[in-house]
Amino acid sequence: MITIENVTKLYGQIPALRDITLDVERGEVLGLLGPNGSGKTTLLRLLTGYLSPTAGRLVVAGYDTVRQPMEARRQIGYVPEALPLYAHMRVCEFLAFMGRLRGLSPGTTVTAIARVSERVNLREVLTAPIRTLSRGYRQRVAIAQALVHSPDILILDEPTNGLDPRQIIETRHLIRNLAGACTVVLSSHILSEVERTADRVAILLQGQLLGVRTVADTPDLEALFLSLT
Amino acid sequence: MSALGVLLRKELHATFTSPIAYAVGTVFLLVTGYTFSLTLFLSKVANLTYIFHQMYVMLVLLVPGLTMRAFAEERRADTLELLLTAPVREVWIVLAKFLAALALIVSLLVLSGTYAVVLGLYGEPDWAPIYGGYLALVLLACLLIALGMLTSSLTENQVVAATTALGISLMLWFADAAAYLLPTPCDLIVLNLSLIGHFTPFVSGSLFLSDAGYYVTLSSLALFLTTRVLTAR
Repeated sequence: MITIENVTKLYGQIPALRDITLDVERGEVLGLLGPNGSGKTTLLRLLTGYLSPTAGRLVVAGYDTVRQPMEARRQIGYVPEALPLYAHMRVCEFLAFMGRLRGLSPGTTVTAIARVSERVNLREVLTAPIRTLSRGYRQRVAIAQALVHSPDILILDEPTNGLDPRQIIETRHLIRNLAGACTVVLSSHILSEVERTADRVAILLQGQLLGVRTVADTPDLEALFLSLT
Repeated sequence: MSALGVLLRKELHATFTSPIAYAVGTVFLLVTGYTFSLTLFLSKVANLTYIFHQMYVMLVLLVPGLTMRAFAEERRADTLELLLTAPVREVWIVLAKFLAALALIVSLLVLSGTYAVVLGLYGEPDWAPIYGGYLALVLLACLLIALGMLTSSLTENQVVAATTALGISLMLWFADAAAYLLPTPCDLIVLNLSLIGHFTPFVSGSLFLSDAGYYVTLSSLALFLTTRVLTAR
């Protein structure tokens, strides 16, 4: 579903990612694990087409993110770490805007909003202005906008950042429920988060991919992480 | 509806519900309305030349305040990342913001059209300078909005965006004065960059393609550069 081939990204002369090669299978949840500044967000931004690679190529659902950016972006739902939302809009207006922007018809958008609000438990705040919502609800709105067009791939940057324990558990369950129907790539600097949500984990450090392991086959991920980093 | 239509609808909603838009509109209409009444009662001459020049000044001063949020606010709130990862072209994002801001200015100009209606009802104005004046104001607004959006795309600080746009507009305004200090052929080039130099002929009722071309060319260039700024991330 996702192919990353020899990808390097330089910011000026500073390498953010160096020669990354990685595949993600359909329906899989891949966790990118690494400390702050290891290149996780850069890799996610390359997948979404927000950034272009300096070298190498990324193929998302069969579309090259540089040569076929529009087609590639249609396959992706993306939740950036900062939870960017239009605070002046109501939740339903925001979801409708994002759905229409991704090519849904007016009729389909209404159905899609009902579906995602049910899925991420947003029904009670659909008519509320986004600026009045708590961090937890904002996180749900951000996930809902990423799912509104039923993407094949969901990309989540630090999805549990800033959430309380209950919200973290809910987000974790949501991601696990999406697995299978959707290919999920998420980043985190919290080892236990990746361990509990991902099928495989890719460990990044200073822009380099140190290793990729199946979580089920790695009983002591902590020891592995320490040995690699 | 295309992605451009969806973006335009969102921008129109944001523009017409923004307090900045109402502040700009109120100041614009109050000041020009006051001047129109004063000049009409004092001079008793049925023309809008003086008003058009005042609107020119008002637009130069107010448009940067209107456009400063365009991209600076999207950058600050990180929503630009959301737009740029959606399947929409950068040029549509730029055009939607441009057209929404232009719609606001055109609305103000339409409201100020009551001055022309009053002149038409109670006098016999020469309509050519009035049509020319309004055309010039729309072209001027296009250029000022495009410049404001360009500066807004370069920073996430709205004050920096507004100040830079105002500075560029003022430099273009006074370019003809600076031209006298320069040797040939630099003086001609700078003279032809003058904002007011290409505005005045319209207001006197003389329509030249070169004057319209000046506004269209610089506006297109600023919009192109804004798109390039968004693309080069």
